[in-house]
Amino acid sequence: MGAEQRETLETLLVVDADVHVHEDPAALAEYAEAPWDVALREIAKLPERYLDLPGMSPRADYRVPFPGGSNRRQIVTSAAELRDGLDGLGVDVAVLFPDHLLTLAMVRERGFAVALARAYNQWLYEHWLLEEPTLKGALTIAPQDPRAAADEVRRHRDHRQFVCVYLPGSGLRTLYGDESYDPLYAAALEAGWPLVIHSVEAVFPVFPFQLDGFRTGLSVHALAHPLSMVANMLSMLETGVPVRFPDLKVAFMEAGTAWIPWLANRLDKEYVERRREVPLLQTRPSHYIRRFFYGTQPIEEPENRGDVVKLFELFDGENQAMFASDWPHHDFDHPQYVFGLPFTAEARRKIMGENAVRFFGLEV
Amino acid sequence: MGRRELGIFNIGGEYHAIPNLCPHQRGPLCEGDVSGTLDFGPHTDWTLDWIWDGEVVSCPWHSLEFHVPTGRCVGLDDIRLRKFDVSLANGEIRVRV
Repeated sequence: MGAEQRETLETLLVVDADVHVHEDPAALAEYAEAPWDVALREIAKLPERYLDLPGMSPRADYRVPFPGGSNRRQIVTSAAELRDGLDGLGVDVAVLFPDHLLTLAMVRERGFAVALARAYNQWLYEHWLLEEPTLKGALTIAPQDPRAAADEVRRHRDHRQFVCVYLPGSGLRTLYGDESYDPLYAAALEAGWPLVIHSVEAVFPVFPFQLDGFRTGLSVHALAHPLSMVANMLSMLETGVPVRFPDLKVAFMEAGTAWIPWLANRLDKEYVERRREVPLLQTRPSHYIRRFFYGTQPIEEPENRGDVVKLFELFDGENQAMFASDWPHHDFDHPQYVFGLPFTAEARRKIMGENAVRFFGLEV
Repeated sequence: MGRRELGIFNIGGEYHAIPNLCPHQRGPLCEGDVSGTLDFGPHTDWTLDWIWDGEVVSCPWHSLEFHVPTGRCVGLDDIRLRKFDVSLANGEIRVRV
């Protein structure tokens, strides 16, 4: 070893692009406008299950229960508790996403969805972002009402502890390429915030979540996340979002990365024959795909760990992938695993932190 | 035990010691719940069966299952935990490391 000190997880800047806080309905009721505060207090009387609260996170969990499995507490309820957990993982800076509002797109009552996002953002700002400067916020919007979403972005644009706009990616009635979202994208661009599409497992009667043909969580969880990403990315490419908003940065969170080269290659093949259907695109779809950003979690775990490095080469992961743990959820990735993959030292530094600094515009 | 943490399990009066370190992502394996697990195949006459009740520990981090009496990882046959000899003497549990 030379004079240069060997890098460890402790010496490296680690930005975690995806960490979850637990918003309970009683807390949000304090921030919600009438009459939705009344509804939230009613919901607060119900026993809470993981990402499953009637009315608030209507993501029915159909799994048959058996004893065993993880007994770890998978929610975090305060900034101090979260900071403590992240210290244990070796994470320096984290971007906070919600728990229940991962399913926000599935809330059928549009007014309630908008009120939930508003209440959550204000609660997050006061109880987490102002408490602990190393915790940054993803501003939640309700896709049910893109104009209200744009207003929400403008309302918080001076609160720079928010570092991105979070778009709920699962159970969405209108995919994110639709022009009805343009006012939201314009507002995000004006505020200087990138977009993060974050998926969640769901069986829901909206494309592509009609996954009730499967019997197991193995199938549903494996498919729901990447399908959410594939559907939204295709939608954004076919309406030319990266061309219409060239300065808007977009990231795809919680689907791993193996789906990216598949979609890129598939689309480049289609493009040869069907370019006239997407005349806004100026070049192969894969060129746009390599400009999007990607959370690493759940990072692939092939028997040969070097395969992850090869996979990352296929979508320029060295420059576009951002470490994400998904702490404290059941399928979180420990930073040590990603750190320990056989990347070059430079690629490791970028993936573990520098790419996120660039994407979120962090000052570190 | 020095820097090494072990978990000792009493399964039906027999003691078993395994490392408190999951080979997957180094989670605190022995803090996991102990249960049985599900099985299915020709050996169960093609009916879903609940087996090894009280003998399976699931890692609290990612739920990977291990059969404590044999140290076998239930799902990945290339992973086997180190097992330590445990003996009882004068009311003390002794582990040979």
